Amino acid sequence: MKHTATVASLLALFAAGAAQAQDAEAAQFRDGFLAGEIDWSAVEARAAEEGTVNLYYWGGSDLLNVWMDRVVTPALAARDVTLNPVRITGTKDAVDLVLAEKNSGKGVGQGSVDMIWLNGENFATLKRQDALFGSFARLLPNAENLEWNPDDPRALLNLRDFGVETGGAEVPWSGEQYVCAYNADRVAAEDVPSTFAELRGYLEANTGKFTYIKPPHYIGNTFVQEAIYAHNPDGNGAEPFQRSVDEIPAEELARLIAPGLDYLRDLEPLLLDAAGGTPRYPEDNAALDGLFLNGEVDFNCKFGLYAVATGLATGSYPEAATQFVFPEGNMIKNKNYLAIPANAPNPGAALVLADWMTSVEAQASKLQQTGMPAGIDGWTLEEAEAQSIVEASPGLVGVTQAELDANAAPDTNATLVDVIEATWLEYIERDSTDPIEAIVARAYDNLSK
Amino acid sequence: MSVSSSIASRSGAQERMTARERRTRFWQMVQLVPIMAILVLLFGGALVLAILQSLGFAPWFGVNTFPDFSYFGALWGSSTFWVSLGLTLYYATVSTVIALILGILLALALVKTFPSKTFYKYLYKLPLMIPYTVGIALAVLMLSNGGMLSRLAAFFGLIDDPAQFPQILKTHYGWGIIAVYVWKQTPFITLAVYAVLLGIGRETEEAAAILGANRRTIFFRVTLPQILPGVVSSTLICFAFNVGAFEAPFILGGGFPDTLPVVAWRYFNDADYTLQLQGMATVVSIGLVAGVILFGYLAAYRRYERRMGRN
Repeated sequence: MKHTATVASLLALFAAGAAQAQDAEAAQFRDGFLAGEIDWSAVEARAAEEGTVNLYYWGGSDLLNVWMDRVVTPALAARDVTLNPVRITGTKDAVDLVLAEKNSGKGVGQGSVDMIWLNGENFATLKRQDALFGSFARLLPNAENLEWNPDDPRALLNLRDFGVETGGAEVPWSGEQYVCAYNADRVAAEDVPSTFAELRGYLEANTGKFTYIKPPHYIGNTFVQEAIYAHNPDGNGAEPFQRSVDEIPAEELARLIAPGLDYLRDLEPLLLDAAGGTPRYPEDNAALDGLFLNGEVDFNCKFGLYAVATGLATGSYPEAATQFVFPEGNMIKNKNYLAIPANAPNPGAALVLADWMTSVEAQASKLQQTGMPAGIDGWTLEEAEAQSIVEASPGLVGVTQAELDANAAPDTNATLVDVIEATWLEYIERDSTDPIEAIVARAYDNLSK
Repeated sequence: MSVSSSIASRSGAQERMTARERRTRFWQMVQLVPIMAILVLLFGGALVLAILQSLGFAPWFGVNTFPDFSYFGALWGSSTFWVSLGLTLYYATVSTVIALILGILLALALVKTFPSKTFYKYLYKLPLMIPYTVGIALAVLMLSNGGMLSRLAAFFGLIDDPAQFPQILKTHYGWGIIAVYVWKQTPFITLAVYAVLLGIGRETEEAAAILGANRRTIFFRVTLPQILPGVVSSTLICFAFNVGAFEAPFILGGGFPDTLPVVAWRYFNDADYTLQLQGMATVVSIGLVAGVILFGYLAAYRRYERRMGRN
């Protein structure tokens, strides 16, 4: 990590003197395509000419890696494009690379990243740094599989990513919802909590049987956001958290998040290993799955609409794992996306890949083989297509789609996530004695630097 | 006349000597070029960049407040930095000392003659060939609360639930980290000390024994001073590695407060990329601390050597 950062900055420094150049021909293609002047067959011809597409994505899921190799690679080969899957340990590595190359003067046609799988803060960073290819999503032939009408509330997840307007610079790839599972061998059905207060009650009787992934990991951040929504002093849940830091003063945010953070702070002595001194927060999904499988914790909360079905199939979940509705009314739902960076070396091939990824065929096979929910919107599809998606689903265990929809909540604005995460680290991890107002104000200052 | 000619011939010989010396010096330099190029360009360049970034120079992120000491100020001003530094040094020192004691004992045992010695001479080197990450994975598989030992204990009814197994990993005592370092570094120190022991032979020890010294005295007054070069060089390498290592404290450590390399990684890994500058300040701090300690250690050793009359 240290080395990649250093090497990237070294590259940036050496090339900083070079003039802001770009591949004139690629730039012409980009401008023509974004203006709608280039038809799709010309894009496909260009993609075949470019020959390769470099897709950077988090490589931590074996199921997904196998799907990429067995399904995506042949599908692209049929379009004369070779998929180069670059499996990274953190999406931020790809973002760093794009920014370093951009700042060393590499424009469209000259970088090394054609496409990144991302959402939230990483997209917000690329957008803030003006490092995106442009508004391509609605120009793809398969864009008709998505709802774009801003008057339809269901289009919100296609138009906004963690509250940040996507502007068509990324195309939805998967939808997700934050769903918790419990181990029915260890938790009686009547003890399963549905609110944060009930979770606390359960842990008072069964101390140490719960933990959540450590922020600033986004899965940990999401749990914190749900706690904040549920303890919102105004009682309007996620609503005030859709604004960006520029629209919400520090004191106001501090007032809104204080009860949720206080709840989490008071919960600390009841978490895993807290009896031994410090509570243990797992670093990632794999660590939490291990704790859950081993019976060290009774619950597993993460983005995993079909996590139980796939976990049971692969043996990474305990046999009695069951999903449940928690917390009532505040189960965060979002999408993740494919973005094309401003300095994509093969923009034509990237567009072809983006289009194929949003096809019904790709979405159904991804859902079936990896358990990643479809990112396209079922109601825009023809009946047979929609049915193929439904049939591909590994299935919910213990909850119904209607229950999940009824309890869905939107994600927090990406700029607020930075503040909330910094506050958690300061207030809960570091046990700061400063009041939340002071910590939030400090986070605002750091952010505006 | 005769005096001046002899002076002239001597100075001529001196000149010839310096010419030859110069040639050897030149060839020495030529031989050093490849390693110097790597050190200066790759290592030195990265170090300079790290220092520049830690002082606020990162125009590629849109940050340029050079020279700005606020990153170091924020880091050194927080008490958690010093706790992290203490933990880093604690893990590094304890594991180096344990590995050193075990390594010397093993090396002393290996110079003796015993049955199937050749086999043991290969066996002890096994951890040297296995990467650290494999050692860490072994520790997780065996020692964690979901590991073999806890499952066996639960299976045989010693505990009701694997989670009740006493926690060895993921605590701030760092037994897991220390175990992995000791497992990996004991053979390394043994190798270094054993090589020195073979070089010095056993005559001095035998002489001391004949003169009536007991085993304790022989070790501390005769053997230890002779193997000291091997001890110093191997512990230096182990300690420097332990201070800068990331994987073991990340996977086996007790969470916040983390060791300094893990703190640096957390800054680098945050989605807020401006925190990388704070991470660079952490990296430079690790370098400073390790550099000062290693320099002090070497200087003390040199003083000791000089007092002993070695140069």
